This record gives sequence, structure tokens and C-alpha cells, in this order.
Amino acid sequence: MKRLVLARREHPTRGGQPVAFLFGLVFALIGGALLLTISGDPVFDTYERMWDRSFGSFDTISATFNRAVPLALVGLAVSIAATMGLWNIGAEGQILFGATAATFVGRLFPDLPGPILIIAMLLAAALGGALWAFGPGLARAEIGVSEIITTLMLNEVALRLIIYLQTTKWKDPDGFGFPQITARPEQAKLGAIWERAHLGVLIALAVIAAFAWFMNRSVWGYELKIAGSSPKTATYAGISMRRKVIGVMALSGAVAGFAGGIELSGSAVRLSENISNGFGFAGIIVAALALMRPSGVAVVALAFSALQVGGLSIQTLGVSSAVSTILQALILFGAIGAAVLSTYQIRLIERKVTA
Amino acid sequence: MNQAAVELDGIWKRFPGVIANAGASLTVRPGTVHAVLGENGAGKTTLMNCLAGVYLPDDGTIRIDGQEVRFSSPADALAAGIGMVHQEFRLVPTFTVAENVVLGSAPSILDMTAINGAVAALAERFGFDADPERPVWQLSMGERQRVEILKALWRDARVLILDEPTAVLTPQEAVELGAVLRQMVEEGRAVVFISHKLDEVTAFCDEATVLRGGSTVASSIAIADVDSGQLAELMVGSSSVANPGPPHVGVPGDVLLDVCKLTVTDSRGLTAVDSLSLEVRSGEIVGIAGVAGNGQRSLTDAIAGLETVDSGSVTINGIDVTTTGIRERVNSGLAYIPEDRLGVGLAPKLPVTHNAVMRSYRTMRQGPMLSWDRAKAFSQNLIERFGVKVGRVDDPLASLSGGNLQRLLLGRELSGNPSVVVAAQPTRGLDVAGVGAIQNLLVSQCDEGTAVLMISEDLDELIALADRILVMSRGRIVGQFDPRQASRAEIGEAMIGAHS
Repeated sequence: MKRLVLARREHPTRGGQPVAFLFGLVFALIGGALLLTISGDPVFDTYERMWDRSFGSFDTISATFNRAVPLALVGLAVSIAATMGLWNIGAEGQILFGATAATFVGRLFPDLPGPILIIAMLLAAALGGALWAFGPGLARAEIGVSEIITTLMLNEVALRLIIYLQTTKWKDPDGFGFPQITARPEQAKLGAIWERAHLGVLIALAVIAAFAWFMNRSVWGYELKIAGSSPKTATYAGISMRRKVIGVMALSGAVAGFAGGIELSGSAVRLSENISNGFGFAGIIVAALALMRPSGVAVVALAFSALQVGGLSIQTLGVSSAVSTILQALILFGAIGAAVLSTYQIRLIERKVTA
Repeated sequence: MNQAAVELDGIWKRFPGVIANAGASLTVRPGTVHAVLGENGAGKTTLMNCLAGVYLPDDGTIRIDGQEVRFSSPADALAAGIGMVHQEFRLVPTFTVAENVVLGSAPSILDMTAINGAVAALAERFGFDADPERPVWQLSMGERQRVEILKALWRDARVLILDEPTAVLTPQEAVELGAVLRQMVEEGRAVVFISHKLDEVTAFCDEATVLRGGSTVASSIAIADVDSGQLAELMVGSSSVANPGPPHVGVPGDVLLDVCKLTVTDSRGLTAVDSLSLEVRSGEIVGIAGVAGNGQRSLTDAIAGLETVDSGSVTINGIDVTTTGIRERVNSGLAYIPEDRLGVGLAPKLPVTHNAVMRSYRTMRQGPMLSWDRAKAFSQNLIERFGVKVGRVDDPLASLSGGNLQRLLLGRELSGNPSVVVAAQPTRGLDVAGVGAIQNLLVSQCDEGTAVLMISEDLDELIALADRILVMSRGRIVGQFDPRQASRAEIGEAMIGAHS
């Protein structure tokens, strides 16, 4: 009897990840071409537009960079939690609450000079995100409550909090009765570094590099590696798994909250429930595609950003938004499937019951 | 003699650094309960896993009813009529008894009423008292075991392997299990019964095969023809793998490790250590002999602070550490070589350096950062001092051989100049050179005034190294022997409770 099995490769293919990503892309483009043909849209024009609007010019490249910032930061946040085998799927809520905390600081000190105010707001955002994830971390460490459920539920709490503030305490008096929050101080805007790209691009890269460096050099990172790879050994070495779980969740939340602060000062002018824009969930995909490695997060986030920007742009060509979304999903499927094949191989094995 | 139900011949199975089976053989006739005896590490479980399709043997043949077979998965083995009840049960706690029994072999359209009835009928046939609709999480360990047995019977297993089935049972449940096994063999099935406990073997089994060091030392001996002393000698053996040299004679000084009336309940809720007291003095090696599963692991884990103590106390170097954390105990002078080296003592996925500094990295901090220069220098020094063969200190630990892993672990633990060393099975699974090196390290540490508590199932090793041998059985110390005077048989019988 013969059967197909998925067997782990003894040695993951060298450079397999980028190659796999390319294969996935080719697969998706072929599948997408079929889809576009069926829906009656022009295949080459559509692809050309996607490329043009994501990497076609300095202007669009810089916009793609901006969108990659929150994706990369959330990807980092999710991979930080994953070092301890934890799933932070509440980055959406942490972004929202981080941005809320930053707005709070902005309202408190509206007249501070720009750089100082931005730093204060970003710190508040990180603190807010950490606070939002601290509860789930604590519940997980102390009584074993699944952090997947709690982080996810807190998304809704953060969202409702903003809607509440929008219509009551923080309602914009100059909003013509429209339920929106007063704009953040003008000087709290992150400066442009190149074309449309703002300072957040550099900050995000710095945060990722700093985390990777801290992870590899610090006592905390060392303990975390033991705790993440061999929990029993960590306990044996006198490392508190409880504290590591709480700490890692808080740090993960801090990075996601920080992303909220960057969005508020980078791309947005005011706090709204749309500020998270689905980055909290897309970031999980980014982390998964980067195999939970901080080094990979930035590259994957850029590619993912291009996909989203390009996917949105083709709607102006008349391609329906459903087709655009399916096309994005196809590309993701291709990439994920190929990523699996870079660590696994399909083998035909023969099984003998009796000989 | 009729056709053998199972015939294993010349089975070899190697794992990295360890040879688990070296040409082991086993013949089981239908209609018999066949005991497989041997100390821990003798290769019993590995051999059974080869038969049950969990492992593919490196060499050797397996014949079922005279037909040669080659199993690539447990499902293959099941299809050929081989069922195994593992020590850790593989049940879905939220499913009912019947759902667990039919899991994996259920018809595509589930008629739970019919299935419940069928499972109840099957249970009744074997004299089980099992309610098919109860969820498994509500069941005791003994009842769960019956569900596992029912699972095998549901698939019509003609050979049932039970891996230390009585370890989780109360004495009463063990007797009931015996009756079920008799019922099964009367139907012409064969049962392979892995055990250390001699009284059960003599009560339930017809024949026995004894394994030692991965090979079969006695094959299919009729239980009726031997006494427990002979079986004990076969299990424990009369020659050691390593040549230990003359017995160790220490010069005992102050009491450095004092365990007083210690009681520990293990994760299964059983009393693993039962009001146990012992002392180890400076310059003395105290050996704990005993068959695995008699509370040794809970004892050492409780001393090290990995398991919580119900009552009693642990004093290290005059400091009561009963309720303190692991770090405080290490600071009080404790070194612990755990039984599960790769699972507890080391982090196999991380580099050698990360593992080498696991006890001392807190002294290498510079603010929040770790001085990797000092860490690398420390591990380089450790590697040279203890003769650990590694490629580079950045290599993952898993690339080391078993003997080198243990040298690294022992070196790390001894490098802090401990006053108390607790070593659980420190030489198990190592080759001759490795055994000798580890034993020498422990002895020289002891001669420098350290108190050494050593748990081993290799009696020869204890006789060679220990100043005193304590025998542990069912969580208690049941005997104390002077290795220079006691005979192997005396200690062996105390170990298996032949005269308990």
C-alpha cells in the first residue's frame, strides 16, 4: 500500500524561506490570473496597477513603507509572545488602547514642544498596550486562563472605550456635532524622512533591532530562551515561568500599543476606532510568515504592506473589492503553503503490514 | 508447544548515545500472561514499543503467528492484533468511556446508543464495571486503565501489552486487573505484562522473560519453576558494565543533607514519598537502591525544590530549605543532577554555552546585560576541566553524545563547589568510559568533603561507590545495608519487596 505523507525535512532548505515565498507568489499570480479572467477583468492591467501602486514610484514605495510600520511592529509583538508559546491575538485592542493613552497625554500637555510631546505620547502608548496585555498575562500565569480568549475579548473593550470617548468626554467641540475625537496636537506629528515615509519607519526598524539585540545579549533574553525552549529546565534553573509569562505578555502588548502611538502620530490626525485598521490581525499573519523571527518580520511586513496597498488600488480599476480580497488571500495561501514546504517535504512511502 | 503468538528475535534499537536493545528476543505463547522483567533502562519499554509499532527496530525480526511483519505505525500493529496500554494513558478526558473506546475505529455514522450498548457488553464480558456514558475525566486512574484495555479489546487485539500497569493502581485494583487478564488469556489471547514487582509477577503470570542491558538474559522461564530470589538475581545481574574498582570508603563528617519525615504527593495524587528520613554526611556517598517508580524521583525533586512537600523537612548545610525556592537551595550549596537530563537538566535546543552557565549566569551580569565574554570563557573552562567533547560552544547542545551531555551537566553542577550533591541515575545509559568518568567525578567530589546522595538502579554501581546503601520501596526506606558486607541477593530482595 502506498500513501503520501508530509515529512519534516532533516535540514530545512538553505535560504528556503525567500525561495518559497517566490514560488508562492508565482502560484498566486497564476491562480489570480484565472480568477480575473473569470470575473472579466484585464489580467495584465490589474497586475501592473498593483505593482505600480506599491513599488512603482518613490511616492508609492514610501507609502508602502508607512503601512509596513504597524504591520512590522505587531508582527514583532506576536513573535515576542510566541517565544513563550503564547498567542497574543489582542494586538488590535492594544493598538487602540495604546493610541488612547497617547491621546490622553496629548490632551494633558497640548503645548509641549513637538519632540518631547511625541516621546511622551509614544511612551504612554507603549505603557497602555502593556497594561492591556498585562491582565491576560496575569490570568494565564496565575490560573491558566487561555490568553487567546482574553486578549481577543479585550479588543472589543478597547474599541467600545473609544466609541464612548468619541461621543462623550473627548468629543470634538468643532466637529459640527459629528462624533469624533478632537485632533491630536499638530506638533505631535512624526516628521517625513523621504517622500511620504515618516519617521516611524526608522523607529520601527530601531525597535526591532533593539529587541533582537536585547534578546541575544541580556540576562532577561537568556532566561527567556531557556523558558521558551524547555519550561521544565527553566524551573530547574530557578527561573520563574510565572514571571516570564507575565513579562512577555506585557512586552508584547507594549510593542503593539507602541504601534498605536506611531499610527496616531504618523498616519492619523485623531484617535478613532479605525486607527487599528486590522493591523492587529494582519500582524499575526506577518509573524507567522516570518516564522516568529524578529529579523524576518520587517521584510514580510513590507511585502504584506505592498500586497494590501496594491490590492486596494485595483478597486479603482473597477475590479470588485471581493476579487481584490480573494487575490490577496491567494497570494497569502501561496506564501504560507510554500513556507510549509520549505520545512516539510511530501514523500510517497510504502507501508507494509505483512511481508 | 503450539505456534507462538509473538516472536521477537535479535531486536536492536539504538538512540543517539544509547543502545536500548541489543539483540533482545521474546517469545509469547497464546493463552499465557507473559511477564517481561528487568531494571529500568533494561530496554523493556523500547522492546515493547518495537512490537507495538511505535518504533521501527534497527535490526531483528518480528513474527506474529509465525508471519514476519514490519510495522511502520501503531495503527499497523493494531491491525495485526497488537494492542498496547502505555504508562501514560492516551485518552480524551472530555469524551465518554464509549467515545474513547471507539475513537479512531468508529463507523462513519455514529449511533451512540448502539455503541454504548456494545461497549457495555464488551465490558461485561470481561467483568469490568464501566459505565459507557461517563466522561473519562471523572474516572480514577484504575478506571481509566480499564478504558485503555477496552480500547484494545474493541479492536480485537489478540496480544495486549501492558506497560507497568499496576504502577497507578491500588492493591485492590491490581488484584481485579489480574482477574481480567486471566479472563483474556482463557479466550486464547496473549498478554505481555511489564513489571518490576515480583509478587504480582508470581501471582498473575505464567512465564517470564528477563532483560538486562538491552538483551534477553532468560527467556520464557515458567514462573512455577523459579523462586523470587532467582528472578531477582536475573534482573539485577552479577556483573557490572563498568569496572568500578575497590569499594569507596569515605570519612563521614557533619550531616550536610538532612531529610526528616518527608512526605510528597506526586502529580497523580499518589503518596510518592511516605514519611521518609535520611541523612548524608560530609565525605560520604549514600546510595539509594530501588526499582524505578518507588518514589525516587519525587524524593530527589522534593530535595531540589521542584516538587512541593506535604510534610517533613529538608535541611541543606544546616539551613532549613523545605519551603524555599530552587535558587535559594542552590545558594545553600545544593547541586542536583536530575534523572531526566535532557528534559530537566539541560535545554537541548540551545547552545552549549547557554547550558553551561545555567547555574552561574547571575554572577555574569552587567546591569541588565549578560557578559557573553565571561559566559564563553566559563563554558570553555568547564569543557576543558571536565573533558566534554564539543565542536564549538555555539553548537546546539543536542549535537553532543550522551556521555558528553552528562559530563557537561555534572561539571556545571560541581563547578559551584556544592556541599550536597543529589545525583539521580547519573550513569544510566552511558557507555563504559562515560560511566567511569562520571563515577570518578562523584567520588573525588565526595573525597573533598561533599555529601553525595546517589540514586541508581545499578546495584553494582552502588556497591562499588556507596558508603551506605538505603533501599527504597513504595516511598519508604525499607532497608539499610553496608555494601562491604551485604550480599547482592539480600539487597535485591529488599528492592523488589520479596520479604516485605
